[in-house]
Amino acid sequence: MKRPLLILVIALLAGGALFAGSYVMGRRVCEACSARTTDDLGWLRQEFHLSDAEMARVRALHDGYLPKCADMCGQIAAKKQELDVALAGATNISPVAKQKLTELAVLRSQCQAQMLEHFIQVSHAMPPEQGRRYLSEMERLTIGAHEQTEQTMSTHAGHVHGEH
Amino acid sequence: MNQENFNPNDAKLSALLHRSRSGHSLPPRFQEDVWRRIEESEIPVAVRRGWLDALAAWALRPRFALATAIVLVLAGSLAGARQGRQAARADAQSRYVASVAPNSLGK
Repeated sequence: MKRPLLILVIALLAGGALFAGSYVMGRRVCEACSARTTDDLGWLRQEFHLSDAEMARVRALHDGYLPKCADMCGQIAAKKQELDVALAGATNISPVAKQKLTELAVLRSQCQAQMLEHFIQVSHAMPPEQGRRYLSEMERLTIGAHEQTEQTMSTHAGHVHGEH
Repeated sequence: MNQENFNPNDAKLSALLHRSRSGHSLPPRFQEDVWRRIEESEIPVAVRRGWLDALAAWALRPRFALATAIVLVLAGSLAGARQGRQAARADAQSRYVASVAPNSLGK
């Protein structure tokens, strides 16, 4: 290889390594700084620019909601176990299994309603504009995730039916 | 070659050279080519260097190398920090959503 070409290749490699090293360092430092805060509500303060007073209100609502949420999760988990038992070894869906499915769906919808109610309460503890943004973001992240899955499934099903 | 033994008027040498050339005709434009080669050999080496050499010489200049290194470190750090901030934000968001909606993804 010619000497100038070798010099250029080495220079390019050194430049690439320098950039990559700085990138990794910058990313790690930034991630480490952010990871120091283990507060679940840290995102709310940062994203919606909340003051200390607003954060205190939101925190009180959050702390009040968590036991209710945990209780609902426990009920859903118990109902899932009952459903698993009803489905175990069955080749058909028995009336009991159907009943368990319905009960599970009811519990889930109650859980979602309770969650939405909490989101609305939290949004009221924020400045109006931020509250609207929070509510829309939380609906997108929770209820919207289900809708997206359902939409994907219905599109897929329609595609398959179309093929037939 | 020993200078003392070299004599351009040496009759034996001339005869030998004549004999060696007999039967071999010179290629066309031989004289022009010879002159061109002589001229090329007189051009300074720096002028004949291609763009690759010039680029390599430029890259080896300490000022250029230092400035490039600083720019690369700054650009890399900024890009990394930006990416890190975005990743940390996404992580914090997931943590909050998981705390208030553990069943949101059908778990």
